[in-house]
Amino acid sequence: MTFDAWQLPDGVALPDGGPGLSFSAGEVDVHYPEATAAWIRALARTLQDGREELLARPAVRIAESLGRVGERFLEDGDPLRTEALRLLPHTAGLSPEMASAVLDGMAYGWTADRLAALLEADLAGGEALDGFVDTSRGRVRAVGPALCVQVASGSVPGVGATALLRSLLVKAPTLLKPGRGDLVLPVLAARGIREADPVLAAALAVVYWPGGSEALEAAALLDADVVTAYGDSHTVRSLRARTPVSARFVPYHNRISLGIVGREALVDAAVRRAASDVAGAVAFFDQRGCVSPHVVYVEEGGQVDPPAFARRLAGALQDLEGRLPGGTLDAREASALQQVRGTAELMAGSDSGVEVRHGGDADWTVIYDPAPAFAPSCVGRVVRVKPVPDVSEVPRLLRPFRPNLQTVGVAGCGDRLEALADALVRVGVIRIAPFDAVPFPPPWWHHDGVGPLRALVRWVDLEG
Amino acid sequence: MDTEGFDALASEIEALVRGGDGARVFGDAGARAENGFGARALRVFAHQFRANPVYRAFCEGRGRTPDTVDAWQDVPPVPATAFKHLELVSADPEGVEAVFLTSGTTAGREGRGRHLVPRLSLYEASLMAGVRRHLLPGGESLPLLSLVPPPAEAPDSSLSHMVGTLARETAPSAAWLVDGSGRLHVDGFLDAAARVGGSEGGALVVGTAFAFVHLLDALEERGEAVALPPGTRVMETGGFKGRSRAVGREDLYAALEERLGVPGRRIVNEYGMTELLSQMYEPVLTEGAAARGRHQPPPWLRVRALDPGTLEPREPGEEGILAFYDLANVGSVAHVLTEDVGSVEPDGTLRLRGRAVDAEPRGCSLAMDELMASAGHGGAP
Repeated sequence: MTFDAWQLPDGVALPDGGPGLSFSAGEVDVHYPEATAAWIRALARTLQDGREELLARPAVRIAESLGRVGERFLEDGDPLRTEALRLLPHTAGLSPEMASAVLDGMAYGWTADRLAALLEADLAGGEALDGFVDTSRGRVRAVGPALCVQVASGSVPGVGATALLRSLLVKAPTLLKPGRGDLVLPVLAARGIREADPVLAAALAVVYWPGGSEALEAAALLDADVVTAYGDSHTVRSLRARTPVSARFVPYHNRISLGIVGREALVDAAVRRAASDVAGAVAFFDQRGCVSPHVVYVEEGGQVDPPAFARRLAGALQDLEGRLPGGTLDAREASALQQVRGTAELMAGSDSGVEVRHGGDADWTVIYDPAPAFAPSCVGRVVRVKPVPDVSEVPRLLRPFRPNLQTVGVAGCGDRLEALADALVRVGVIRIAPFDAVPFPPPWWHHDGVGPLRALVRWVDLEG
Repeated sequence: MDTEGFDALASEIEALVRGGDGARVFGDAGARAENGFGARALRVFAHQFRANPVYRAFCEGRGRTPDTVDAWQDVPPVPATAFKHLELVSADPEGVEAVFLTSGTTAGREGRGRHLVPRLSLYEASLMAGVRRHLLPGGESLPLLSLVPPPAEAPDSSLSHMVGTLARETAPSAAWLVDGSGRLHVDGFLDAAARVGGSEGGALVVGTAFAFVHLLDALEERGEAVALPPGTRVMETGGFKGRSRAVGREDLYAALEERLGVPGRRIVNEYGMTELLSQMYEPVLTEGAAARGRHQPPPWLRVRALDPGTLEPREPGEEGILAFYDLANVGSVAHVLTEDVGSVEPDGTLRLRGRAVDAEPRGCSLAMDELMASAGHGGAP
């Protein structure tokens, strides 16, 4: 199988040498062009030429058009969905079942209704993108960048495609460099857009090059008005340093998530559901998502105590292995898992109180660890269960990790949730959600603290 | 506690290491016949299984006991990470003579591994065998210029202990040019270089790659270059993990030649880690430049490259994660699984590929090291 990791506007030819480079991902040979700085610059200019027609299109019409493409990923038998499901297990390392579930979850956010709701939530329907609107304090207009350069990363499939929908929604010509593990969906989305809507397609390019290619990135950044960067802190720092001073930089650096299970969920009637929901949150994306919990704090004093909850969670992960099996870990992930599992097994033989359960060849691992400190470990469905006397004690434990916290999954906190949430806000948590909602935030969520469209637009005042 | 068993076994291994005929006794790493090594490796396993209840429970959990294991390759390896969480001593804990800490590249003080060493003389015998074979193969006695802090100022550093030992055992004089806080004394280096200028046979200069980069930067800034006497050799160790400035090895060696006058054929890379009490070297002094890129273990240390998922051994020449079986670790755990990547040649030598495995990590989830670093725990001095 081969896959061409690019989608270019009409009139842009591949650079000299064509798709000269490739790498293999599972059974797929991924081809990509041997881009040069000059070619990227020319591409960026071509994209900018498409802006006028974008600006003339009402934002709600853009949402409808993009939504029609997004919905194709949900329709069984549609060639876009079929190809995505054929490729994703190889390029993203997910099992076919998980790839399908991830695509369902992601594409649910790409429908016309959901994109219209995003416009509504973030930009009051998007009228301000079409012209000046009256407000109580004068006339304002929102304008997207003349060129939005998006450097995506990683292998959480769908992140890149979501990124390009956002920037097109604010009428921004978009150059997206997908991550190695997430290049299928943005390329297919761009292909769908090209088939459906020439105006949008003229302002969109998706092209892969290996991350860290400084000359290519420099060429891309040169004309950018807005740069979004996804990735580890090294990648984001490096891109930030090279972004022109006049451009806005929108960082989505790697973050870490966790869960809290309170007493109200630790009763016979509720614990099964709680364990199953936690297992799902851990297992989705094989835990590669920044929303994926690594530690679950379980309150003491419930009918089911924390060690017993850890056993329940292990059972739930084992059940899930049947429905949504784990995929393949890359060498580094597998190596890290050996260290984490082996160390936990050793600790289980000491007086540490640690208990380990794992799936053998299946990657899931549950480590019950009485030590309260927050301690993320590795990916591959590895979760630490830690007891706390009271859920209100969790925020204090998170304080050292403030800059990197993201989602807290919650269950069974009852009417204590409000106070807990308030304390979590103070230590830097960005999102609090029931465990079953953890994997797929809605399109209008405040992604790392900012509305996803507001992060991209400038506001212009027309004073009179 | 099984201290008698430890003493007898450790004495036996130490005597063989000191005897210098390790290859004959333990067998050559590349040879198929390795009865000497294999038999002792299994005795070390039996001892550690008896003496270390934590390790015993681990092995039992994996269904591997001295009764069921008949090849050292099947002894359960301990992940190097475990040194950060457990005191893995296989002797009387009261008799521990030294505790060495890993450098803790980014995980901060509390994240540093601890290697408890119940018999320092075995470590010293093992390290001296490597030093004599790979740095002083002609039995030389050379003045030492050390860019590693002296052991008195860095008592928890196994590298400092190593350099202190080689100074004590072989060097007519020693200049310590980096202090316990990691500060480099450039003037001291220039003075020491001048003092050894007439030394017949040259000098031995040791340091981490990172320390050499600092020294070279300082010399460049001052417009200084020294010409260390002919015969001078450099031992360079460690990489640039987590450091602010990455320099390629070729660039480093070219600069060492330019600024110190030591040609590449006399620069020896050492590969070691706190968790192992034996070291590997590129045998360039004895085998020439062709040995560059291959690290040779001593006969009492075996290295294997394993599949990271299954821990099955890789074919010779095929890359995998590295597991070491070090008989000098008889007082802690002998079989150690690391996250380092490399391949093992048919002759038992190691080709390293450093720490980073993939250019582009998958996932937007955060790695522990990165998290700790950005949470402000970070950074070795």
